Amino acid sequence: MTVAVPAVEASGLVKRFGARTAVDRVDLRVDVGEVYGILGPNGAGKTTFLRMLFGLIRPDAGTLRVFGRTWGEAGPRMLDGVAGFIESPRFYPYLSGRRNLNLLAGLDGGGAGSRIDAVLDVVDLAGRADDKVGGYSFGMRQRLGVAASLLRDPRLLVLDEPANGLDPAGIRDMRALVRRLAAGGLTVLLSSHNMDEVEEICDNVTIMRTGRVVYHGSIDQLRAQAPDPSHRLLTSDDAQALRLGGDHPAVSVSAHPDGGLVLRAQPADADAYILALGQAGVAVRALHLEVAPLESLFFMLTETDPAAGHDVPAQAQPDALTGAAS
Amino acid sequence: MTTPATPATTATATAAAPVPPAAVHPRPVGRGRVATAYRWEVTKLAAQARTRATLAVCLLAPFVFVVLLDRQDRLPKDTLYGRWVHASGFATPLLILGFAAQWVFPLLTSLVAGDIFASEDQHGTWKTILTRSHSRSQIFWAKTLAAATFTTAVLTVLALSCLTAGVLLVGHQPLESLSGTLLPPGRAAGLVLAAWATALPPLLGFTALGIMLSVLTRSSPAGIVGPIILGLLMQLYAFLNGADTIRHLLLVTPFDAWHGLLAAHPYYGPLRDGTFVSVGYLVLCLAVAYTALRRRDITGG
Repeated sequence: MTVAVPAVEASGLVKRFGARTAVDRVDLRVDVGEVYGILGPNGAGKTTFLRMLFGLIRPDAGTLRVFGRTWGEAGPRMLDGVAGFIESPRFYPYLSGRRNLNLLAGLDGGGAGSRIDAVLDVVDLAGRADDKVGGYSFGMRQRLGVAASLLRDPRLLVLDEPANGLDPAGIRDMRALVRRLAAGGLTVLLSSHNMDEVEEICDNVTIMRTGRVVYHGSIDQLRAQAPDPSHRLLTSDDAQALRLGGDHPAVSVSAHPDGGLVLRAQPADADAYILALGQAGVAVRALHLEVAPLESLFFMLTETDPAAGHDVPAQAQPDALTGAAS
Repeated sequence: MTTPATPATTATATAAAPVPPAAVHPRPVGRGRVATAYRWEVTKLAAQARTRATLAVCLLAPFVFVVLLDRQDRLPKDTLYGRWVHASGFATPLLILGFAAQWVFPLLTSLVAGDIFASEDQHGTWKTILTRSHSRSQIFWAKTLAAATFTTAVLTVLALSCLTAGVLLVGHQPLESLSGTLLPPGRAAGLVLAAWATALPPLLGFTALGIMLSVLTRSSPAGIVGPIILGLLMQLYAFLNGADTIRHLLLVTPFDAWHGLLAAHPYYGPLRDGTFVSVGYLVLCLAVAYTALRRRDITGG
């Protein structure tokens, strides 16, 4: 009988650097086959968590198991079946991409060397594999980092802000690559400070702020609890538009600090309000999305003081979101 | 606000699949991983132009040196075996051995030893290595063994090249010992190689010194130049006839231990003492380097 062992299981994990607590009693579980996001602004503790996962630093308290094994029990063997990179992947610039992979395959042992051509194809670098890495763009190095990870034939792929520093095309390609890998059954743990990225790729998410977990659950649950989208509205008569807003209880209309109005509503309610403006002779000159719903929730969760629960809207309270016991 | 971190939330989202009992490809464990990392480091060294150039210089420079000496009328008589370089091809490697001990040996060894750890800092590749199922200890010993291998290779290539250049370009005439007796060619060749072999312990000491500076400074230039400067300072102290006790503790003193082998009645005291001193440097420097690497916060690299 096989036992379902989570890919990653953290319990009460704490890491301090002097007086600063970088990771504060974090509990987290990533099941096999899952695409899991760790989301948070810079300094939230995401990379510190990943450093502990890779054994680069040791936790001050709590336990961290990877496929059921802790570093104390297994040492570097804890990382068997695990691959990825922290911050940006780095290589020897005086060697070609293929030569770098050859070296790393030698370090990995097993059958890693036989997979070099295949992983270069997966990340679409076969055509530049014999160029020196020193001449690679940032995006190519990121993709080579994914290739170097896949060499290990991992069961868990850990990517720390894989789209960071990429141009829009690079971001699109990287997200597509991660989605392809996840579709193949690979467990992916991805850290990001970009809500869109996590929403697009991940099944479940943990949101961190100053080292603490402020939310975790599924993306669908998060989406259901997100506040209304916020639009910037420019009209021919803002005063009249504000008054009309009072007649539509499902929408919230207020003055924008930079001029014009802020419209918060679900799409159907916003449509009704805009039609009403037209019927009242108020021309709509511009309407554009300022903050997406999930992004708005992300800001609420990560920019308010966790000690002051009243600052967080009720629908964003983690207990309400997840139904989890604290 | 409470922290809602419970495993149950994710378990509902994705059903946990059974974990295979073992990885598809078995990977080495323990010392096997040191051996794997050692092969990786040696492959990496072999791919570096500097390493290949250094070995090429060791191979060819003695021939150039002998040709230049051969064209000179004046002999380097103030150097041990300098006066005999035209008389016997076996004198050439001994002359070069005495000269190399001054700064060439520290330079040749520190080219790799002084760079082998610092280059990972320079390229930011520590995390690339340490996220691949290898501990710092395993990487440390693998790199140390690789640096020692390079040192041994350099000494071997240089010794054989010097001996070959001397014999081919000057001849295999008998060699005069330091006591004035003539040594037949076969015996002379054996003693020359033994004399070069005595340089290995202090060379490994300099290798350890380079490794220590490489780890502590995280700077390749400091790791490479440091042992050379320290070697020259030690030479200077020995030249100034400093206190004997301190002179015996210098890492350059064992480079002269071969003199005892070339006497009519060989004496091995300096060789024994020099080996102890070299081992002392080796252990001390590696202990400092190992401790520093184990405690290091691998963040930027």
